[in-house]
Amino acid sequence: MTEPVRAADPVEALVARLLSLGTVVAIALLVIGSALLALRGGSPLDPGPPLDVSRIPSDLVAGRPDGFLWLGLIAAIVTPCARVAASLLGYLRRREQAMAAISILILAVIALTVALAGTTSA
Amino acid sequence: MVTDLVIIGGGVAAGLFGSLLGLGGGTLIVPLLTLGFGLPLREAVGVSLVCVIVTSSASAGIYLQRRVANLRLGMTLELFTATGALAGALVAFLLDERLIAGLFAVLLVYVAVSMLWRGREDAAAAALAEREAGQVGAGASEAVITASSPVVESDETTPWTSSGWSFIPALSGPGYTIHNLPIGIGGSILAGVISALLGIGGGTVKVPVMHLAMGVPLRVATATSNLMIGITASAGAIVYLLRDEIDPYLAGTVCVGVFVGAVAGARLQQRIGLRFLRMLFVVVLLYVGFQMARKALAI
Repeated sequence: MTEPVRAADPVEALVARLLSLGTVVAIALLVIGSALLALRGGSPLDPGPPLDVSRIPSDLVAGRPDGFLWLGLIAAIVTPCARVAASLLGYLRRREQAMAAISILILAVIALTVALAGTTSA
Repeated sequence: MVTDLVIIGGGVAAGLFGSLLGLGGGTLIVPLLTLGFGLPLREAVGVSLVCVIVTSSASAGIYLQRRVANLRLGMTLELFTATGALAGALVAFLLDERLIAGLFAVLLVYVAVSMLWRGREDAAAAALAEREAGQVGAGASEAVITASSPVVESDETTPWTSSGWSFIPALSGPGYTIHNLPIGIGGSILAGVISALLGIGGGTVKVPVMHLAMGVPLRVATATSNLMIGITASAGAIVYLLRDEIDPYLAGTVCVGVFVGAVAGARLQQRIGLRFLRMLFVVVLLYVGFQMARKALAI
């Protein structure tokens, strides 16, 4: 016998949709970027450019693989953080204070990660 | 061109094996890139973390839609895995690569032994189910079908809508109650550290802790671990990204391969004899573990 299945939970439904959407967007960008890289004769083992967020829009417009690949990677990395933010909104709406507080703490740890990695890099 | 295909093929194989056997792709990606292509270990770990995030997000979305993963429990524990991942990612840049390779070798042997053990348990469970089916007879099948997957209705008195002081019961689910939360928290911190150090999802730690120590059913533990992996790997990946340790060309290409392999694995799971596959994978893991140990010992 399989385990019982819970009834629908609106926060979980919202998070599920967000995760699926984030994955589709990230993979689509990575596929386009990888295809453009191959078409231009580049190899995955060639050293890629460092991340420069300000260059991404111009790379996308010019059809350069760098912009698509960086945007895809950022979309992939940010998707789990976005689902925590979405959970926070959902739990606040449902007045689940404990889960809302946990969501805020997770986002705080992520923010601390960015801050520490940024200050200790280079 | 051949190299490109080998990289994509390696990614597909890692995603396929990971999906079929319930492992994250990281277990294979890091050895593939370091032993196969001579990449520095830290760069391979960065690439692996991004791939782990993609497969986690894809499968977690499906698990939540099917209402198998426990979001509240997952979020509570991932607060601690994220903290562990932050610590692990920062420590990773201070450690000697040979030490990390040694830790990876230990991990691979641990996973291989766990898979052998799981294979024996599955075989025993299958034999028991077959015996019981024979005793009960065909008439019982209808009752089993009727009893499977009962939906537990949500209302204001269930823990799913409770908040505040009744927080811990709110983490439980239908048919199970959470206990030993401190052990779960400790295991989550450890999983986070290991994930960021070695570029894996950390499910090899989280699933046994949730299932054996906290009383979470195995299927729910696996699905919830998959959900948590996204944040754990994300915290680690951010550190690697901001330190320029993620190469977009390599990470992008390998990620696409892993995703294709994971999707194919999910579709093939019902059609492939897992016993042979598991044994093959154990042999591969032990061989790769041996190679990683040689790298660690500089032999």
